[in-house]
Amino acid sequence: MKLERRGVIKTLVAIPVIGAIIALLSPLFRFLKPNDGAWNIFTIKPDLPAGGAQVVGRVSQLAKPWDSFYFTYVQKFVQYDPEGEEASNVPGVAIRLPQKVNFTNTEGFVGFQGETDIVLFSRICPHLGCIFNYVSDYHEVTAGYGGMEPPASEHHALMACPCHFSIYDPTYPGDPGNVISGPAPRGARYFQFEIQGDNIVVTGAEVGAIAKARPNGAQAPRGDA
Amino acid sequence: MEAVLANLKEWFQDRKQHLDLFDETKTGKQDNPLYILGDLVWLSWMAVIVSGIVLMLWYIPTTTGAYRSIQHITLDLPFGWLVRGVHKYGGDMLITVITLRIYRMYFAGEYKKPGELSWMILFLSLVLAMVSGVTGYTLEWNQRAFWAAKVILTVPTYYDQIPLVGNLGLGHAIAYIFLGGPALGQGTLTRFYAIHFGISIIAVIIIEMFVYRTRRRRLNLSAFAIVLVLVFLAFVSFMNLADVGDWANNNRTPLPVLSDWYFLALYQVVKYMPPLWAGVAPALLIGYGMLVPFLDRTKETRATERPFFFVIGLLALAYWIGFSALILLNIAVISRDPPIIWGITVVVCLLAFVWEMGYRRRKAQRAAAQAAARAAARPAGAA
Repeated sequence: MKLERRGVIKTLVAIPVIGAIIALLSPLFRFLKPNDGAWNIFTIKPDLPAGGAQVVGRVSQLAKPWDSFYFTYVQKFVQYDPEGEEASNVPGVAIRLPQKVNFTNTEGFVGFQGETDIVLFSRICPHLGCIFNYVSDYHEVTAGYGGMEPPASEHHALMACPCHFSIYDPTYPGDPGNVISGPAPRGARYFQFEIQGDNIVVTGAEVGAIAKARPNGAQAPRGDA
Repeated sequence: MEAVLANLKEWFQDRKQHLDLFDETKTGKQDNPLYILGDLVWLSWMAVIVSGIVLMLWYIPTTTGAYRSIQHITLDLPFGWLVRGVHKYGGDMLITVITLRIYRMYFAGEYKKPGELSWMILFLSLVLAMVSGVTGYTLEWNQRAFWAAKVILTVPTYYDQIPLVGNLGLGHAIAYIFLGGPALGQGTLTRFYAIHFGISIIAVIIIEMFVYRTRRRRLNLSAFAIVLVLVFLAFVSFMNLADVGDWANNNRTPLPVLSDWYFLALYQVVKYMPPLWAGVAPALLIGYGMLVPFLDRTKETRATERPFFFVIGLLALAYWIGFSALILLNIAVISRDPPIIWGITVVVCLLAFVWEMGYRRRKAQRAAAQAAARAAARPAGAA
């Protein structure tokens, strides 16, 4: 490529012109994603949902091993609509395990200080964000969730996602809630919780996708709950 | 540099001369029913646009109002079922005829010079139609649509985990921009409504400019055929009342949950693959589709004279039907199938390659034999 005077001058003129066009267009990106700063388009930090401490259930609901209950933990998140912010339900499941475990996953998130036989998982699938179910009978996993036959060591309650059939084991050694089958790249997300007397208090949730359908109070007209 | 630009311009002008958007008068064969597919694309698209504008009169684009307004349109309004049916089944028909036309162009070799631009625009129109489809059925705000939108917009977040590139935040930014926040909600519905409407309106403006400048026809069908298609759409709407499903519920994913029919095969692929691959695979597929006129450099248009690309097309068709069947019949075993599918793919591609090489060798031998025969005949004729 030959360097000509005309080419050099054209390039020199083009740089400020292109810069000016980018400067003019940059507010449009903020129009699409109005974060807390001009250059924060590629970050999610200003938009992270927040919840605070909430009582989600009682220890006495989990008397025997494999007892469980579903609960919801409410977080607020930024919404790019006139209301600006909305509450969102993060569905979770609390399970009593047959033995005590360290409720810490391989990502380094500590769900509970010390050993515990009560574990709280976020039911938002870490794969693509569907809500997975607690399946108390592992035969149901084989029948309804993609034909996976658990090995003898997994013949107990499992967690399984209806969308892409990821299967999670709440007692997985060293990483409770890890994935044992299906496309999920990691184990189920944790809630951070404390036990105060009989109350199970959730103080935080592992960062991840949150699901949101209708504002609190609005009810579905048909039985799909 | 300027020579390259001039070449590009010439290439573009030449392909524009042979551009067949709808009427297919350049591709010819007017007696072959496969060549009304282009007209059917325009006709079904217009049916969708007109019925869509009527639906806009009654649709309420809010998370609380959308579901009920669609029930109201379908069940209460006079001829609401017809308008909604024509919109839904017209959209299905649009995607069907675009897909059929893509396969016709592929197997008939019509993407080759000078049809490259026609092919690329048609392929892009399939992608846009599918985006319109997913943004459109989310507007119903029912369970199927909610979870499909949720899954599809979680896929880009894995683009932040591409090895070597690292986390640029780009994938999350894409998801956030489409979701209108970190989660599916009112922001998503508003943006999807805008995208659903915007795709068609911008395409109509561009195409009307093209038609105005080139005086090409949009529709090359007889009045009888047009009426027949519209009556067919009305009949299907009448026989098969468009379903609304269950109201979206963010606390419960139904089991089983399916996507719309044209995403079923992709849905099955997502079950088999790690999520990053599942996000990259459709991009590669679109890339292959757009670039196939430049990958297949031979001049032959008959399928058996370009064996490799013929077999790849058959394989894609077989996968599309096969995966859809697997998910509809619910007979796949996620932990068992992937090695089998990879095995079939590798063996079929290898066999196709062997066929291609063998075909080329035989062709070269034939050409050499003919040249030799000509060389032997020429002195005799001269003498």
